[in-house]
Amino acid sequence: MSKIRFTEPNREILARRDSIINDLTRLVDPAGLITSTDECRAYETDALTAYRKMPLAVVLPKTTEEVSAVLKYCHDTGVKVVPRGAGTSLAGGAIPSEDAVVLGLSKMNRVLAVNYDDRFIRVEAGVTNLSVTAVVAENGFFYAPDPSSQLACTIGGNIANNSGGAHCLKYGVTTNNLLGVRMVLIDGSIIDLGGDYLDSAGLDLLGLVVGSEGQLGIVTEATLRILKSAEGARPVLFGFPSCEGAGKAVADVIAAGIIPVAIEYMDKAAIEICEAFAKAGYPLDVEALLIVEVEGSDAEMDATLADITAIARANGATTVRESRSAIETAAIWKGRKSAFGATGRVADYLCMDGTVPTGKLSYVLAEISKIVQRHGLRVANVFHAGDGNMHPLILYNANDPSQQSKAEAAGDDILRLCVEVGGCLTGEHGVGIEKRDLMRCQFDDADLAQQIRVRAAFDPRWLLNTDKVFPLDFRCQG
Amino acid sequence: MTDCYKPRDECGLSSAIKDAATAKMPLVVRGAGSKSAMGRPLGGYAMPLTTERMRGVSLYEPTELVIGALPGTPVSEIDRMLAKHNQMLPFEPMDHRVLFGTSAEPTIGGIVAGNVSGPRRVAVGACRDSLIGVRLVTGRGDIVKSGGRVMKNVTGLDLVKLTCGAWGTLGVLSEAIFKVLPKPARSLSLGLRGLDDMTAISALTAALGSTFAVSAAAHIPASIGSDSTTIVRLEGSEGSVAYGSRELARLWCSFGLPDLIEGDESANFWLRIRDAHWLAQPMDRSIWRLSLAPSKAPRALADIRRKLGVRYFYDWGGGLVWLAVVGADDAGASVVREAMVNTGGHATLVRASSEIRRRIDVFEPLPPAVLKLTQEIKKSFDPDRVLNFGRMYAGI
Amino acid sequence: MQTNFSLTALADAHVSESEKILRACVHCGFCTATCPTYLLLGDEADSPRGRIYLIKDMLEEEKPATPQVVEHIDRCLTCLSCMTTCPSGVHYMHLVDHARAHIARTYTRPLPDRLLRGMLAKVLPFPGRLRLALRVATVSRPIRKWLANLPGGAQLAAMIELSSSFKRRRPTRRLPGATVDRPRGRVALLSGCAQQVLGQNINEAAIRLLTRHGIEVVQPIDEGCCGALVQHLGYESRALDAARHNVDVWTREIENGGLDAIVVTTSGCGTVIKDYGFLLRNDNAYAQKAVRISALARDITEFLHELPLQDGVRTTGQVVAYHSACSMQHGQQVRDQPKSLLRRMGFVVREVPEGHICCGSAGTYNVLQPEIANRLRARKVTNIEKVKPQIIASGNLGCITQIGAGTRIPVVHTVELVDWAMGGPLPDVLKGCLG
Repeated sequence: MSKIRFTEPNREILARRDSIINDLTRLVDPAGLITSTDECRAYETDALTAYRKMPLAVVLPKTTEEVSAVLKYCHDTGVKVVPRGAGTSLAGGAIPSEDAVVLGLSKMNRVLAVNYDDRFIRVEAGVTNLSVTAVVAENGFFYAPDPSSQLACTIGGNIANNSGGAHCLKYGVTTNNLLGVRMVLIDGSIIDLGGDYLDSAGLDLLGLVVGSEGQLGIVTEATLRILKSAEGARPVLFGFPSCEGAGKAVADVIAAGIIPVAIEYMDKAAIEICEAFAKAGYPLDVEALLIVEVEGSDAEMDATLADITAIARANGATTVRESRSAIETAAIWKGRKSAFGATGRVADYLCMDGTVPTGKLSYVLAEISKIVQRHGLRVANVFHAGDGNMHPLILYNANDPSQQSKAEAAGDDILRLCVEVGGCLTGEHGVGIEKRDLMRCQFDDADLAQQIRVRAAFDPRWLLNTDKVFPLDFRCQG
Repeated sequence: MTDCYKPRDECGLSSAIKDAATAKMPLVVRGAGSKSAMGRPLGGYAMPLTTERMRGVSLYEPTELVIGALPGTPVSEIDRMLAKHNQMLPFEPMDHRVLFGTSAEPTIGGIVAGNVSGPRRVAVGACRDSLIGVRLVTGRGDIVKSGGRVMKNVTGLDLVKLTCGAWGTLGVLSEAIFKVLPKPARSLSLGLRGLDDMTAISALTAALGSTFAVSAAAHIPASIGSDSTTIVRLEGSEGSVAYGSRELARLWCSFGLPDLIEGDESANFWLRIRDAHWLAQPMDRSIWRLSLAPSKAPRALADIRRKLGVRYFYDWGGGLVWLAVVGADDAGASVVREAMVNTGGHATLVRASSEIRRRIDVFEPLPPAVLKLTQEIKKSFDPDRVLNFGRMYAGI
Repeated sequence: MQTNFSLTALADAHVSESEKILRACVHCGFCTATCPTYLLLGDEADSPRGRIYLIKDMLEEEKPATPQVVEHIDRCLTCLSCMTTCPSGVHYMHLVDHARAHIARTYTRPLPDRLLRGMLAKVLPFPGRLRLALRVATVSRPIRKWLANLPGGAQLAAMIELSSSFKRRRPTRRLPGATVDRPRGRVALLSGCAQQVLGQNINEAAIRLLTRHGIEVVQPIDEGCCGALVQHLGYESRALDAARHNVDVWTREIENGGLDAIVVTTSGCGTVIKDYGFLLRNDNAYAQKAVRISALARDITEFLHELPLQDGVRTTGQVVAYHSACSMQHGQQVRDQPKSLLRRMGFVVREVPEGHICCGSAGTYNVLQPEIANRLRARKVTNIEKVKPQIIASGNLGCITQIGAGTRIPVVHTVELVDWAMGGPLPDVLKGCLG
């Protein structure tokens, strides 16, 4: 029923389980070692629950030194390691394998330094995204990347997946907002890349580590760039009678030289789901909704919004509604950011993450609905339109095995379409296990071989997050 | 047998590199050669490979804010094309001709190879932040692509970043794709006179920690001009720049009353900052480029100045220091490197005689574990060590 | 989330209800971020998502609870912060209640734990026994350190420590209720069991407030414990008995004189009474009556908020940190009314940072899990003290006791402050600092 394969666990490792656990007890605090079946079960999956594998054991270190000791041990004894932040991956990035130790960073959640003059904050990797902003908000600063899961997801996970979010249209994604990391390599060595200054020395290994999905090492500390919050921010809701109109409006706004902080898109299905949860006042009588946020002084916002509104109206917008209060603004964003979870009220879903050129949005939306219909399923679309990062939610019934495989097939078709029109498989969720076998749609053998060689430079024994990102049959080549 | 590879396209590039790899013939890769005197001199003979015949804009979608170009395309050609749609490369790449006294127009391949950025880097990021896709030919002759034409992409390893700033040691670029930005409708500068370094950096920090559309921030100390200039540039819509300049003047009230600098005067000033104009002459001075936390910069500079005769100025709000060293037979390396060890950050010897660059590390020395990774990565791209071997670090 | 229950298992009404809840969960993990135990311990199994997953496995496999599962469920405060956070509408409260009942049925706790829980269930809901127990606790105070070293002794010691934090109070008795001339409304005021002994002053203030506004207050003599305490200890049938009993008592009041509301001054009790309709849904004789009772239940601040309120008569302006009990903000989703009442009376109300996180009281939690409870109290007090209040106000006796044991700042019930502002007596703990 489910299409994703896992490698056969290494029997020799499974047979050594007791002695491995015994050795681990000497390396981490007892409260940070989890071995019983019931307790390990809590770690058998992440937010891609269709797939589950019990880990060999779970360690939750409290210090970089503990991480180093565990990795060195695993390296020396050939044990695989699956890093885990908050386990919010929609692509199965934190799903274990039976012969692997899960290394979770949830106990490493301290803020180490805040520096407003040099505009950075240094945190441990288990700190959640939103709590970074919470720390600096009292001084009017914020951390820009804001993935929808920002309440729960960790900075370590953000780095692994180069997370973006609604506001990266203006502020960029994780890689553009990260100054440095401390990370532990699989052999236990601890390295610093970058720091409290711009552009790291030597090759841009920091840039390479971002988005590497835990396959190059385990980041334990990060130095993040913080920015002063704008004086004001105002989201506006634009309702359109057609998806095409909304898609065209997005392209026209960008073409007019206006870069709002965010342009978010929801189709009718998504609007209904989110409104039911957040009661944000989304219009229910439209086919498509754009949430466009601008920021700055009141006069600036008024001027920019007037331009945007004219463009939206020219493309047939029937509803135009500005947020009038902080409470309304919060509700508008709460609805958008809870879209995936709120979808859980009506159905199970697979969340896609392909990115397409913004000029192709309308075409791709129309094709998505054809694809999903062809597989006999429904779809809700909610995504970052400004940068073409689409999140079709394919709705299905997880308790019906035939629907599971249909949903996966539809997802594959959608992602192939994204690549065909010049886009990519994943904008911010990562390849994980979910899109691993589609990598060949986007890359040829030479591309993949070079990536794998680079990966091997960090992890020659292929122990870190092994069953992810690269097609299973590919790793031994090159 | 040729004495220089001049491939016309990616295929030609690939076969040239394959030939060289087979023959174990080291190559020195160049675009127009505007900064070929930067980096370590390659030891022994290396055959030149130039990308100057691979030129032209390969993709431009103004409505999607993306542009792609072949490596030998002059930056000026890209700028002209973007200007037609009132757009620009966000990172404001420096032109090294001023420092090196060269004449050929810099190519986009060279900009990527050096991760070359300018004053706007402090606000919108470096070349590596705007670069969203590359095609390159590795030292194996393999044609490899990474990234693409969309702004968000986390599919596979980010070889785009790795390529950017690798000085051609991993592969030779065959196409680069950037995200671009609309040109700001309005740009002006505010300048303060007579501040010492410490106070000036505080003023720049206040400006960069504000929301007033600051796109660049620099300080030129008195040792360069007749009086020191502390300057920020505001860019954006008419309204936001007008508002920002008013508010910033208020924010700066404790530092003095700023002058308003507009039009060509402002533009030319930032060009001089971008290209380190004040340090270019005399040509025999060694020039360093230091990246460090702004709050630590004045003290680091004070340290250096106690031991070395230098002329210098700050960009990036104090986070970038340009330094011209007078005398010193190691170009001041021992003093500069020691200062960087104390503050954190990195220093690059941008200009020095080839004799000094042979003796002294040009790029910041790497800790052993990072050096080992760098060596392994080099090996993975270029096992036969044909591409710019040793230009960044010995053995890389 | 996919589930895998056998058809026979689904025939059980509890299981089928839990299956529905599990199906709504998408395992997104948002709840982990607002769960107090996950914040402290960082273990997935100590987060709502992890507990849901353990419960799912236990119920799907129809297996007895294991000590590990019990440990993690026991650590749950039932603060329900997760339910406020959950975008998917997962009813964690009903799921964890089911799990606790399953544990009670299938797992034999170690003897000291069993004795302690049995004692709590037999003492706390009964005012007479509680008074006696408090006297015993006072006497045993000198040996609490010795007790702490015995198996299960840490909990016993915690209980003694906690009980000794109560100020010596006037002898108490059940309040008689109060009539007014030409009443504008008639309500039943829940006496509360522990509150009768430990916080009689709270209901006295409530009665003054209500009668001042022309509301007749009845306190039925045979009303019993709401059932919350026994339910959270896993004694499901006792909880249902308690619910049925009170449904009968209040139904009788409805039939003899009518009730506009059942007013509750302890938000922990309010949460459960508002859930009677669900608890008794499978009891044909009670289902409908219970729905009616739940619909009438109101927190005192909710009820007052809907009245045309009199103005305050005292000089206020004191800085009050409002601590929202979990049962108030998460269990009943009552958020603004208490603050707006206090502001209306002229107090300067400050929001507490991390206000959504539990103080560690959580019913009997501070007795059963003293270590975590103490850490949460310390965290809470630190956060409260950040806003530099003169007074701390809360709507739940458990929180008042818990926080009061960790700070010198006086802690009072919201209605005590409102009552004082309207002319009532100054609460004892404020004597000396206000006047």
